[in-house]
Amino acid sequence: MSITRREFLKRGTLAAGAITLLSNTKLKGMKKYPTGWKGRERVQEIPSICEMCFWRCGILGNVDKHGKLLKIDGNPIHPLTHGRLCARGNAGHKLAYDPDRLKYPLMRVGKRGEGKFKRVSWEEALDFMTDKLKKIKSEYGAESIGFFPHGIQARFFEHVMKGFGTPNIVEPAFAQCRGSRDVGYKLTFGNSVGSPEPLDFENTDLMVFIGTHIGENVFTGQNLQFAEAISRGAKLIVVDPRFSVAAGKADYWLPIKPGTDTALLLAWMHVLIYENTYDKKYIEQNAIGFNELKKHVKDLTPEWASKITGLPADLIVETAREMGKYFPKVGVHPGRHVAWYGNDSQRGRAMAILTALLGSYGRPGGIYLSSKIPAPKYPSGKNPKPGPRADGAGSIYPFGSRGLGITNGLVDATYSEDPYPIKAWIVYSQNVLQSIPDPWKTKEAINKLDLLVVVDVLPMEQFLYADLVLPEATYLERYDDLYTVKNAKIPFAAIRQPVIDPLYESKPGWWIAKETAKRLGLEEHFQWDTIEEYLDYRLSGLGVTLKEIQASGIVEYDKGTPYYDFSKPVKFKTASGKIELYSKTLKDYGFDPIPVYEPTDDVPKGYFRLTYGRSPVHSFARSQNNEILHGYMPENELWINKQVAKKLNLLDGEYIQVENQDGIISSEIRLKVTPGIHPEAVYMVHGFDQKSPFLELAYKHGASDTYLMSRVVVDPLSGGTGMRVNFVRIVKNGEPIMIDGAVSVVSQFKKTKKGDAPKRHIIVPEVHEEAEASDEGC
Amino acid sequence: MSRYAMVIDLRKCVGCDACTVACRTEWDVPIGHSRTWVEQNVMVGEFPNVNATNWVAQCNHCDEPSCIPPCPTGATFQKKDGSVVVDTELCIGCGFCVEACPYDARYVNPLTNKVDKCDFCEARLGEGLLPACVTTCTGNAKFFGDLEDRNSVVYKKVYREGAWRNENENASIGPNVYYLGTPEQLEIVKEKFGPRQSRMATPAEMWKDVIKPLVFTAVAATFAGQAVAFFEQLRKGEEPIDE
Ligand code: SF4
Ligand code: SF4
Ligand code: SF4
Repeated sequence: MSITRREFLKRGTLAAGAITLLSNTKLKGMKKYPTGWKGRERVQEIPSICEMCFWRCGILGNVDKHGKLLKIDGNPIHPLTHGRLCARGNAGHKLAYDPDRLKYPLMRVGKRGEGKFKRVSWEEALDFMTDKLKKIKSEYGAESIGFFPHGIQARFFEHVMKGFGTPNIVEPAFAQCRGSRDVGYKLTFGNSVGSPEPLDFENTDLMVFIGTHIGENVFTGQNLQFAEAISRGAKLIVVDPRFSVAAGKADYWLPIKPGTDTALLLAWMHVLIYENTYDKKYIEQNAIGFNELKKHVKDLTPEWASKITGLPADLIVETAREMGKYFPKVGVHPGRHVAWYGNDSQRGRAMAILTALLGSYGRPGGIYLSSKIPAPKYPSGKNPKPGPRADGAGSIYPFGSRGLGITNGLVDATYSEDPYPIKAWIVYSQNVLQSIPDPWKTKEAINKLDLLVVVDVLPMEQFLYADLVLPEATYLERYDDLYTVKNAKIPFAAIRQPVIDPLYESKPGWWIAKETAKRLGLEEHFQWDTIEEYLDYRLSGLGVTLKEIQASGIVEYDKGTPYYDFSKPVKFKTASGKIELYSKTLKDYGFDPIPVYEPTDDVPKGYFRLTYGRSPVHSFARSQNNEILHGYMPENELWINKQVAKKLNLLDGEYIQVENQDGIISSEIRLKVTPGIHPEAVYMVHGFDQKSPFLELAYKHGASDTYLMSRVVVDPLSGGTGMRVNFVRIVKNGEPIMIDGAVSVVSQFKKTKKGDAPKRHIIVPEVHEEAEASDEGC
Repeated sequence: MSRYAMVIDLRKCVGCDACTVACRTEWDVPIGHSRTWVEQNVMVGEFPNVNATNWVAQCNHCDEPSCIPPCPTGATFQKKDGSVVVDTELCIGCGFCVEACPYDARYVNPLTNKVDKCDFCEARLGEGLLPACVTTCTGNAKFFGDLEDRNSVVYKKVYREGAWRNENENASIGPNVYYLGTPEQLEIVKEKFGPRQSRMATPAEMWKDVIKPLVFTAVAATFAGQAVAFFEQLRKGEEPIDE
């Protein structure tokens, strides 16, 4: 018998034999799909909202008959994302099932920083916390308590804190992120742009990004609108010292010298005004201060800006002409995460003024207007009148937000006990050591506290220093406050509801807040029995009940036009009622009424400017322990310019360290040698080298940008921390790599911080593997 | 008849990896392996004259798949709709197809010891859903459909917009994942992500890795006859396996 191979391969004669053979022996009982297809095991799809980042896209949790979350899909009826989710949203179930989660309330038994805790009951934990808070309040006043919230889950606890009487509520979303831009836009248009940015990419003809790196900084809805605009043929100008993903799609990439954006913006204004290609009618109708602006930018020519920015003058002219050609359908992205150089509010102002010259605020293709959602406000009891703030918002920093506060201001106050001592911090889903620069000072501030309470899902770094740790349920296990989205063309409200039951002893934020309020005698702030009842109350304004929207997760509201109607005079919410190209308010406070280019400290020889940004597979410093996302990006890389690397004999992929201007040395980080970065700068993704040994995957992977920020320049308007003012040199095998003639700049810069000189090496707390602690499983 | 195909618009793709994570969670693809993979911001040029593309790849469900001939059990086969799938009941995890695929689209799943790859989300299609990656794509850059259907989105993109097939002198086997991109992007793709040459197993390797163990199993399972005769013939190397 002779069988040819071809016959064998035909799924016929002999192959059939093989089938019998195999199915009879090795594979008995195997399912067709390797591990069973989840879709078939799904018994329920529960709509809710993501919280892998603050964008809160609509999700559908696919749950099996045992109540296990199999997979997260996008909610197809979500008005901004249409059923799409980013990498992080798709990996969200790994947060709920992270083995390192905080499982029980914990009370510290060792020294701060040691990470030694004992398990306690919720009863004990809440009694302990509230007793301490009452004691601190009676001795030092309610204002001696600082609250660091993040996310909508923390809102309930915020009502407790306000009811208790503290004014010191601070979020990094302002001072470390978008605060300065909101100040700049508010001073100009009377409104901050808010979030999500109401950019009308659907109708835009030209997008302008300054440092905005959509595609790497991913928010599903905005990403989608961006991609559709590109595909429609909208043009794109990207100003970034780094060749971002967006730069790869741009018609013009302007690899600007870091820190000089305001010069470029002023030169653009010069061209628009002196070539007479701005929106004259819009400005005449709606703005004040045009003549002052015209005079102000008279000498700020493209040639002038070219010398500062390193960009060719004709490129500056050409890009300005593009804007002049397409206005008002130009979407100048106001940016996010823009706390860069300490002059950021004025840069925000310059971007707002540019937007005004293009006539695109409140017009199709530019920035649309947000709408109202008639959900009733929180039914709070009467809050006591809070004492003066300690963070400087509204005083030292006249335009600092009193709603979001100034994190670094409160850290400073705690550290210096000025204007008064701060005795307790409650840190709620924030990572204060990886989000606020100068973590040494933050640690020293923590040392001054009588009480540090951490409410979180994972044992993040500050957990090590906590006196009390309260494990919160993840976003997949709880109800939260109603999420209302006003910055959408069709405004809507979305609910977060439990997809699975809370694991371990974790509890939802609303429960923690309500129980705390009970113990503090603040029941009047929680006049609802169940969270369902509360959500029904808020939804009543939209004419629906919770039950009615539980199957869809979303309710839309109103379809009015989100643009100004210029047939009637428009009143802006500024002091003058007009768009303020010239700001008398600023002048009265002693600031420049029209933005001036203020140079930032130059990069010392042998050093690089440290810049940082985001990756599409991680959120801030929050997601690095997620099994899937860690798999994609376990550590960050240091981008360095190819020609520079060649000169310094540095190779792609090799591990190096960096040392900053104050002698602080980072952990090891892999080099990414690339043509896509300005020779003066290096770049890393934020959020790595986590120092909590209880995060098995995130612990000591890559390098931390925050730990290299021993220096900040604080924006005098907003109080935001300019963080791109740190310089690093490369250290290889313990030796600094020097460019010829370079000298060390250690301590050459004036210190802007009050803290002690940072230690040369980063101290990482040791793991104490005592039976007691490891019993807790943390 | 139908001919399933996908079109990926690199002009829209931002390289965000949403698609690959969705695929991973849909199919429990272990970390370190992929049914579909992305490379973000692949650059060429010198500062400041840089060009880049993002890259998304997966099994191409080729017209003439290189992965089918070397499969000793017939586990890999082509369906009527043109998609190439693996019957895990037949797969013995030998990995010859993994070597043979010029696009490196296959891997042996260490948890199951079966070969796995993109199957255009066969099970989802069966339930009227689009592939998981298409559904979640944050750039709306991935399109799926039937090339035989003149009204389908992929028909339009392939025949009207001229979507491109990633073939070169190493492999020209009719991939059915098509790409749209700027000329600069497609240049980078050609330079960096073109198919390699197919590597076919030699008869000796085949004997050592697959057939010998199989024979033992077969004997143990009192299965002999034609199989043994065939294996014997193969072992002698009478016919080169990659003819
Ligand atoms: S952008 Fe991604 S992480 Fe953020 S809410 Fe949306 S899906 Fe979640
Ligand atoms: S891409 Fe590879 S695995 Fe997919 S059909 Fe083609 S040859 Fe086979
Ligand atoms: S999800 Fe879409 S945009 Fe993101 S990498 Fe995949 S194909 Fe590209």
